[in-house]
Amino acid sequence: MPEQQQMSEEQIKELQEKIKNMSPEELKEFQKKQCIFCHIVSGKVQGKRIFEDNKTLAILDINPANPGHVLVLPKEHYSIMPQIPEEELQHFFMVVKALSNACLKALDVRGTNIIVANGVAAGQKANHFMAHIIPRKQGDSIEFNLPQNEISEDKLDEIAAKLGKKVAASLGKKFEDLVKDKQTPKIVEAKFEDKPKKEEKAPKKQEPKEEPKKAPKKEPEDKGVDLDDIAGLLGGK
Amino acid sequence: MADCIICQIVEGKIPSKKVYEDDELVAILDVNGANPGHCFVIPKQHFPIMEQVPDNIIAKAFSVANKISISIFDELKAQGTNLFVANGIPAGQKVAHFMINVVPRYEGDIVNMTWKPRQLSEEEMSAVELKIKEHSENIGGFSVSSKPKSLDSKKIESISSEEDEDNYLMKSLTRIP
Repeated sequence: MPEQQQMSEEQIKELQEKIKNMSPEELKEFQKKQCIFCHIVSGKVQGKRIFEDNKTLAILDINPANPGHVLVLPKEHYSIMPQIPEEELQHFFMVVKALSNACLKALDVRGTNIIVANGVAAGQKANHFMAHIIPRKQGDSIEFNLPQNEISEDKLDEIAAKLGKKVAASLGKKFEDLVKDKQTPKIVEAKFEDKPKKEEKAPKKQEPKEEPKKAPKKEPEDKGVDLDDIAGLLGGK
Repeated sequence: MADCIICQIVEGKIPSKKVYEDDELVAILDVNGANPGHCFVIPKQHFPIMEQVPDNIIAKAFSVANKISISIFDELKAQGTNLFVANGIPAGQKVAHFMINVVPRYEGDIVNMTWKPRQLSEEEMSAVELKIKEHSENIGGFSVSSKPKSLDSKKIESISSEEDEDNYLMKSLTRIP
């Protein structure tokens, strides 16, 4: 925020002291006032709004990774994901999914990344929780990296037990009751034959044919983005 | 799907380290995780990409991812977490079964979730804005009640899964970045 750069050292110290003594409510109020995204939500600062409902706002990132890079924000100020009430979180990610779908179709791309960063170490830059939807094209210069590491069996077991217990406890359940290793869970199998283009079982969203509206392109398959097509590419290899 | 490695894990044909399981979802550790504790949250039913996954399962999957993320903070002393979804081949998706990555993060680790910010012209931005708006105007109809709605192209199925909110929420307030 520009104001912060103009503060003298004493002012900064004073501010830090003030922040330290704030109650959580005061802190949230303070953060809200400083938060550029809260200002965008309230309309004080302009943003390119592409979707809005009473809990959620989606805008275009002004410095996108790719054209169509969307930021999805809860209207309420939350710094990180764990603060968001369950119901709101669920609603939020249903919106993210729908917007990803909109990006695929609107931009005629074959992929998106969904990224959430909690904490500075995870790359979070703004103090307002958000999800990024980044439309992707083959050969764009984005290079996310999730390196692969050897992790010992013992370590894996230890971590699985720790996390499993904690997650179960957060649901008021016991890990042993949730995860039954020996039991083979039934899965509903989608009917696939050799060609993976029949996801008829999935409740897919049939895009109304768009040929009439669109300027015709030469490629025969350019009838708008077909989800099965995107999925089929994955299954093909 | 028989030749999907993830479906085989779900079925138990391939062993895995589970951290969560219910009728619709399973969460397992990535045995070659980016950091120890790296998890996948996976719908049991085979859906290649996110857009094919029904809303109620998406909602639940991200809710489980959130709970795992909270547990990673608490149990592994992580300094941050990422949720990451690669949707489609250009996005780096390798396996044709939708999943959410939950990745513990530490200062100085070599995970890269950054990108080079670009500057588009005003015209380009406006063009993109209009196009996406056109496709996002009918998004809605989400509901946490279990009132079923018809599943046409834009109307979204309601969700019925509610889990109890937990008090980890408040604890994590201290971690405001």
